[in-house]
Amino acid sequence: MHNNKKILPFIYLLPTGILLTIFMVIPIIYTFYLSFFDWNLIAPTKDFVGMRNYIEVFTDPVNQKVLMNTFFYIILLLVLNFIVPYVISLIVKFFIKRMQGAYKIIFFIPSLFSLVVGAMIFSWLLNPVSGPVAFLFRESGFVLPNWTNSGGLAIVVICLITNWKVFGYNFILLLTGLGSIPKNIVDATTIDRIPKWRMIWNIVLPMNKSIAIYVLILTIVQGLQYVFTPINVITTGGPYYGSSNVLYHTYLNAFVLYKTGNASALAITTFLIFLVLLYLEIRFVEGRSRYE
Amino acid sequence: MNRKKNALWHLPLMIIGIIALLPVVFMISNSFKTLQESYQSILSLIPNKPTTINYTTLNHQVNLARLAWNTFFMATLVTLGKLFTGLLAAYAFRYYQFKHKNLIYLLFVATIFVPFTIVMIPNYLVIAKLNLLNSVIGVALPQLCDATGIMIFLKTMEKIPGSLFDSLKIDDIPNRRIFFNIVLPILKPSIISVGAMFFINSWNEYVWPTLILKDKSSFTLPLALQNYISSEGGTNFPLAMALSSIMIVVPLIIYLIFQRYILNSISNSGLK
Repeated sequence: MHNNKKILPFIYLLPTGILLTIFMVIPIIYTFYLSFFDWNLIAPTKDFVGMRNYIEVFTDPVNQKVLMNTFFYIILLLVLNFIVPYVISLIVKFFIKRMQGAYKIIFFIPSLFSLVVGAMIFSWLLNPVSGPVAFLFRESGFVLPNWTNSGGLAIVVICLITNWKVFGYNFILLLTGLGSIPKNIVDATTIDRIPKWRMIWNIVLPMNKSIAIYVLILTIVQGLQYVFTPINVITTGGPYYGSSNVLYHTYLNAFVLYKTGNASALAITTFLIFLVLLYLEIRFVEGRSRYE
Repeated sequence: MNRKKNALWHLPLMIIGIIALLPVVFMISNSFKTLQESYQSILSLIPNKPTTINYTTLNHQVNLARLAWNTFFMATLVTLGKLFTGLLAAYAFRYYQFKHKNLIYLLFVATIFVPFTIVMIPNYLVIAKLNLLNSVIGVALPQLCDATGIMIFLKTMEKIPGSLFDSLKIDDIPNRRIFFNIVLPILKPSIISVGAMFFINSWNEYVWPTLILKDKSSFTLPLALQNYISSEGGTNFPLAMALSSIMIVVPLIIYLIFQRYILNSISNSGLK
């Protein structure tokens, strides 16, 4: 009986454990292994090249461009998918009294739709020649720049598409965090006639820190993966890698150019960046270990 | 004065609401326009002469029933798999003490931070070896567990007092009965909401399926839609919008039915 009790939890963890071992742990190790070889995904032999693939990650001009783009993506995603929803959730929580529920329900609706749908709608809305936004620009005497010709502008459009999808989700997460701040603290500041912005800056933001960091990190980690879909659907990374990021470039190397080793080295590099973020998540969000 | 100030705060919120919904309204409206009309009356939300021509054309060009079935079948497999593995794992974390529990839990959570690019090459090779390319089973197989589910289930289970579980154990009530008669009924709302989210996400999934499904007969709806979008700008938008409108029906219905559950579970996933 006692023995049984010791084995049982592991039996319950077994399905998840097996799946994670086969489809996550071993693949990570294998990708690490592949990153030291020159291979094309098909050939029976792989050539050992040592650190060459990693050196290329940082020296190859296309890779450098893609890394810079990734940095630009992160900044934009942080502003659009973290700061803006945070400000909006503060407004909904502290500055209005009615319709909070309605805003929650409406803002969330785009999260229900595939990013392929979002990419399609926005490539129509923002079509520089025949789209409605270009039409409105023309009517009022402006010209909508042809964003498909410029890597930087294409990145902005791609981030806007993912923002359309994840805005409501992040908004609700942040709003929930604000909801868990004790009401009497907020009330006390109103009685003392402390201005709202000071209450938010000095009390609300520090108290909401852990959930905010959780959303911030999620914004980077998931955001960089979300933008993959609009990149692939609208620009395929162009013009000339201008809108590609590390994840998309990994895919391109692996399944279009068949440079498996380069792709693996890029994937490992991405993973290392994400590990730093994971460390921050554990440090600030999971807090003290859960089961001690 | 105060009321006016309040109305001012509603302005940005309403603009965001419009940005959220207007594209979808445009999409549905355009799906009932002819290609010509979509160019001529670009800003009109109500078609002059509503037509179902895009839907009938679509029906000739692709096998809609097949696409819907592939998507539904894949999403169902993934959802059931994630619910099953997630509930079992959360149960173990909640009611048992074992070695390295904290470390194992953190490892599970850490999987959220693994970029899909690092597993995609080996997983592609495994699915190819198993002869599951061009099969939605091959798409579903690596995705049958999910740390987010475990986190939310665990959170809900923590609301069930541990003493209840201990007394049941002393009475030698078998695990199977505790799980089915006590834990599952209490967890019903989170199972519904987490299940709904899993299903919707899988219904919309694009990246991994594009690697595995190359044959058109194995396509899911997002892949079929991608085929209608051309990066060179020659897209027949009313047609693509008709297919999109069909695609969003299922997530919308799920949301309308389970809206409150879904919004609650997102809240729970963030609270630590």
